[in-house]
Amino acid sequence: MTDAVNPLLEGLRLRRNPDPCALVIFGASGDLTRRKLFPALYSLAARQLLPERFGIVGVARTEQTTKQWIAEMKRAVAEHGRDELRADVWKELAAAMRYVATDFADDAGEDKVVEVLRELDEQRGTGSNRVYYLAVPPVAFETIVNELGERRSHEGWTRLIVEKPFGQDRESARRLNEMLLAHFGEDEIYRIDHYLGKETVQNMMALRFANGIFEPIWNRQFIDHVQITVAESIGIEGRAAFYEEAGVIRDVFQNHLLQLVALTAMEPPIDFTADSVRNEKVKVLRSLHTPGPKSVVRGQYGRGFVEGEEEPGYREEDGVASDSPTDTYIAAKLYVDNWRWADTPFYVRAGKRMARRETTIAIQFQRAPHPPFAEIAGDGLRPNVLLIHVQPDEGVSLAIGAKVPGAGMSIRTVHMDFLYGGAFRTGLPEAYERLILDAMLGDATLFTRADEVEEQWALVDSIVAAWKRDRPSFPNYAAGTWGPRTGDDLLHRDGRSWRRH
Amino acid sequence: MGVVAEVEHRLAELRADDKTSGTRTSVMTHVAWAPPEWANAARRTLAGLEELHPSRTILLFPDPKRRDSIGVNVALRCFTIPGSTRQVCSDVIELRLGGKRAAAPASIVQPLLIADLPTFCRWRGLPPWGKPELEQLIDVCDRLVVDSAEWRGLSRGYAEVAKHFDRIAVSDIAWGRSVAWRGRLAAEWPELKKVKRLSVTGPKADALLLAGWLRTRLRRQVALTHRAAAQLERVAVDGEALVPPPGGPPSPSDLLSAELDQFGRDPIYEAAVTAAS
Repeated sequence: MTDAVNPLLEGLRLRRNPDPCALVIFGASGDLTRRKLFPALYSLAARQLLPERFGIVGVARTEQTTKQWIAEMKRAVAEHGRDELRADVWKELAAAMRYVATDFADDAGEDKVVEVLRELDEQRGTGSNRVYYLAVPPVAFETIVNELGERRSHEGWTRLIVEKPFGQDRESARRLNEMLLAHFGEDEIYRIDHYLGKETVQNMMALRFANGIFEPIWNRQFIDHVQITVAESIGIEGRAAFYEEAGVIRDVFQNHLLQLVALTAMEPPIDFTADSVRNEKVKVLRSLHTPGPKSVVRGQYGRGFVEGEEEPGYREEDGVASDSPTDTYIAAKLYVDNWRWADTPFYVRAGKRMARRETTIAIQFQRAPHPPFAEIAGDGLRPNVLLIHVQPDEGVSLAIGAKVPGAGMSIRTVHMDFLYGGAFRTGLPEAYERLILDAMLGDATLFTRADEVEEQWALVDSIVAAWKRDRPSFPNYAAGTWGPRTGDDLLHRDGRSWRRH
Repeated sequence: MGVVAEVEHRLAELRADDKTSGTRTSVMTHVAWAPPEWANAARRTLAGLEELHPSRTILLFPDPKRRDSIGVNVALRCFTIPGSTRQVCSDVIELRLGGKRAAAPASIVQPLLIADLPTFCRWRGLPPWGKPELEQLIDVCDRLVVDSAEWRGLSRGYAEVAKHFDRIAVSDIAWGRSVAWRGRLAAEWPELKKVKRLSVTGPKADALLLAGWLRTRLRRQVALTHRAAAQLERVAVDGEALVPPPGGPPSPSDLLSAELDQFGRDPIYEAAVTAAS
């Protein structure tokens, strides 16, 4: 029996806990930290998924003490957390928290962060392992990364989590990658697209690759087309400065939507390691194209009613120019140029202030080749659709034709539903819980790699280049609807239509 | 009307009367054998379990001392899906088996199993080794879940359960209860290589299984000193106490839930049982 192989570990069903580490959040007083990061950290703490030896350092410009920051984060967890706030869990988490008020460019402030981290190593045994979370606007990335790079220690491991938006186009994304790679290895960089942390998005891979019945028919021979919808009923929620620059194409299409396309269309990876999965996604992103400018529709919402409330048009939102050309809706027909998907359209759409919040992937199969009861079934006989509900009502539905009980042969489409909340009643973890934990564990599978990001931008750049030549007539859809008529026409021209809601 | 037909009829009535618009869902059939002294504990565990493992639950309450009879009670347990107004419901079938009916449960259980889903059988108390009720349920279930801390005569119990390893996958909640402590012991490798003495304060079953595990994994004799306690409180190696794992002891529902996530045989557990017998 050698020392190298520990016989006691065999068969031990232990949860994988991260190494001791300190998490440093830049932007610690910001909205993301309050709404998402701390509720996620609390949920991890409540489930004992954080390292036993753990520290959190909040860094932000806001002048406040550690005590004040702890109180603010406690309120945030109570307001936004999915778990009830328990005094014992919070006490333990709060004991690990430190706050440093500084401008990110201030050398003395950054030195103070290093000093606090050293103290945490000594007091809490965080072992010089660091997770840096950039919960700040992109304009601050370079300053922070350079400061971190200059001060990085060679003891322990380092991981850097970078929030979107990752660049504004391919060129800026490439420059950002170069800047990050000057200080950190690619295996140390975790680019977050929080959609990948959603259980239902990961379930796409389980659905496809753990079920023998789907993969044989997951191709152009059996699938007529794919529809992906990322719809929000909310507006820009006070983010005019960001949204005026980004629009829906950079806010949602470039990242979430294209990731969903990649997961739907990718080939089976040889295993579930980070690079195997990301290699397959990159191949899809490289194969994507739109047939031409007419295959992309953009829109902007005007005044309208959402869930009974009258809402202003985009150009009436605070901070938005009265003649703003910014897109709040995009629909596109995409093709994946490979053997599996040639000539199979992927219709995708994303928008703000749409009729309801919904993210779905609908796989519409070919019609039955010769339904013997087509005439008597009439309108009831529709193609099979496999519907993956990413949010809300997470789950999977399969639309199948079934005989209506009684005389005759009347066929109706019925849904077989698998609801996540029903079959696995564990309460779905928030995406940020999974992603923060994965970063601590060093698992980059659900994070985007540099080449993925650049390929996503390549497609966006080609679309935006065409947009520069035309002057859209905005607004072109009312808030609370499913987008402009031209979005419907995109499918009608092909003899198809968006799924009925 | 036969018992199975009666159960199916009542389930159909519940579905017809259902005002919850609930979706039925199951990931398994969960059969629980609970003699009268275990009936309340079985119901309590079930209440905490269904949220994690929605299943058709068949609760068998045997009472051989009563007259020959089968009492049926059928209910739906519904839960609101978090963040939604939709409900999900599971069937709960209670069967009170009086007199000699208690010796022939499989004929009722088998037609009520949900096809194509695994069947887990939680046996409360010491299984009656060799008796028809146990033999029958072993034949219809995929996994037998016991808690050897509920047994008297542990050595004989372990020897008996080991005889069934080739027939059915077995889980012991006492084994599950020690997983965090086994993690602690594993972290002591390679210093633990020459351990001579293990001291455990906790249920005797947990102590015997921990010692059996160390003996088989390290292939050496390890003496066990045991002090009784309701929970696993302390583990020491050659006089040195280990730092307790974080968090409190898991609830009975959580422990059973963890066992219901296991499907195949567990050779490490089987070896520990053999060494503990």
